[in-house]
Amino acid sequence: MATMEGQAHDGIGDELIIGGKSLRSRFFLGTGRFPSPAVFRMALEASAAEVVTFAVRRVNLDYAEDDAILQHMDGSGYTYLPNTSGAGNADEAVRIAKLARAAGLSDWIKVEISAHPRTLLPDPIETLRATERLVREGFVVLPYTSDDPILCRRLEEAGAAAVMPGGAPIGTGLGLLNPYNLGLIAEEAGVPVIVDAGIGSAADIVQAMELGASGILVNTPVAKALDPVGMARAMRLAVEAGRLSYLSGRIPKRRYASASSETEGVSVLPGGNGEGRYAAAYGVSNAEAAHGRQAAGPAGSRAKAGDGSDWPESGTR
Amino acid sequence: MEKRNWRDFKLYAITAANYHPGRDLLEVMEQAILGGADIVQLRAKDAPKEALLRDARALRELTARYGVPLIVNDHIDVALAAGADGAHIGQDDLPLAEARRILGPDAIIGISTHNLAQALAAERGGADYIGVGPVYPTGTKPGRAAVTTAYVREAAANVSIPWVAIGGITLANAGEVLAAGATRICAVSAIVGSERPAEVCRAFRAKLDAARAGGEPGSIAITVNGRRERTSARTVGALVESLGLAGKSLVVELNGEIVAREAWATAAIADGASLELVHFVGGG
Repeated sequence: MATMEGQAHDGIGDELIIGGKSLRSRFFLGTGRFPSPAVFRMALEASAAEVVTFAVRRVNLDYAEDDAILQHMDGSGYTYLPNTSGAGNADEAVRIAKLARAAGLSDWIKVEISAHPRTLLPDPIETLRATERLVREGFVVLPYTSDDPILCRRLEEAGAAAVMPGGAPIGTGLGLLNPYNLGLIAEEAGVPVIVDAGIGSAADIVQAMELGASGILVNTPVAKALDPVGMARAMRLAVEAGRLSYLSGRIPKRRYASASSETEGVSVLPGGNGEGRYAAAYGVSNAEAAHGRQAAGPAGSRAKAGDGSDWPESGTR
Repeated sequence: MEKRNWRDFKLYAITAANYHPGRDLLEVMEQAILGGADIVQLRAKDAPKEALLRDARALRELTARYGVPLIVNDHIDVALAAGADGAHIGQDDLPLAEARRILGPDAIIGISTHNLAQALAAERGGADYIGVGPVYPTGTKPGRAAVTTAYVREAAANVSIPWVAIGGITLANAGEVLAAGATRICAVSAIVGSERPAEVCRAFRAKLDAARAGGEPGSIAITVNGRRERTSARTVGALVESLGLAGKSLVVELNGEIVAREAWATAAIADGASLELVHFVGGG
């Protein structure tokens, strides 16, 4: 949002604050599965992400050179968010978190406790337990969680600095499977909501941000895109677009059209009576017929603008 | 006479009369047995069969007295005639199956192997043990390329029947062979070429025992990232350096406790220690 200087929603007023840290970018980027370190570096730059995630793994004793990710980042300015992937329960997650913190780069931790090999869906009970323990240990805890509003509230009560509900299982690109729940979570949460996992494209991100998400964490949809650098930029813009759209207040959804052009003063064909054929055909007033119908053809009329009937559920925020 | 399981052998001695001119074969081999050689092979490639049989019978009597198995190299007929415990064959000798058919199911049959494929083939073929070598260039097998401790490592990881490292092994390099994972050693000239075969054998046994108990002096057995390793390092810092990881950004857990980088230089690692070395990799 920093690029939106001078507009209504930007700067200090719209900073994302997690664990006391103020972030300008609401786009968090994972570092796994990129085709090469060079592509990763370029994608990271294009994403403008400040928060980057990592996994903690054993050093390969035979090829110590190859796999450390930090050597491909130019250090400062990033907030490191290591994850506990590989953990199957709270004990393992706590251990991995402590190993991660001992690297001395961050006391943030993404709790990730997968309970199913095929879906990698998070174990809610162990996630809550790990969150409670890690908060007590002084970590800034961001649990990856199911998109369950009650669980998210429990995690918040346990001291999570943010909650990270999944849109869909990790790496599936299925988008937001339960927008209703995500919307509820965003509506009720007292901590930032970072939609993590399942994102497929920029459209999913805009949707999540418009539902009120505070930020987005992606990895696979950027790393495995045909052009990861292009996708990183697209998604960064989607985060900004979705956020601004959310803040700016969308119009209510309506059942029927509403003219965007002035309905007064439409010039009529000489000899015409000014009444369109449709009004009679549908038994509605010209005002209703013209409402929202731009350049509706020769049937335009002088009728007064009238209110269309709102779609029952309003999307206004 | 106690009946030990021959498979428990540790130090394999092979005859080589050309290395002890002027001394009696039986005297030298008895010294070796007294020093701790616990399996003996009669090898005399160019000897006339009659002399070979005479030596075999004499060694049979000697080894029987000490409860040590006697193996005859190559000459299956001599092995049978002398009542030896078994025979050792090379890759170019009589096929294993034939040797087995002649010697019977109870005979100990060993095969020389020079690579893992041969080792696994011998294992599948029903060999009772294999020789792994020559680890170093050796005068007893001139012209054969040394397989180095790399093959010893492979054997340690992949061979499940008894196997013995052989070829140019001396007291000077035995530590390296043991560190590579060998638990049985065969020496030829180092033993029978010595003026004091018993002392040499005792020294070999000491190294073998030390390796089994946790390493030759200066070396301990540890587990690093789930892998068994031997190291002479005594601190976390020294270990990290010995693994070529000095200067890398990594986190060390020693026996379940994280060791802060500032403490690496002083954090002691003891025999049996378990270490985890982790770092950040790509992840979402």
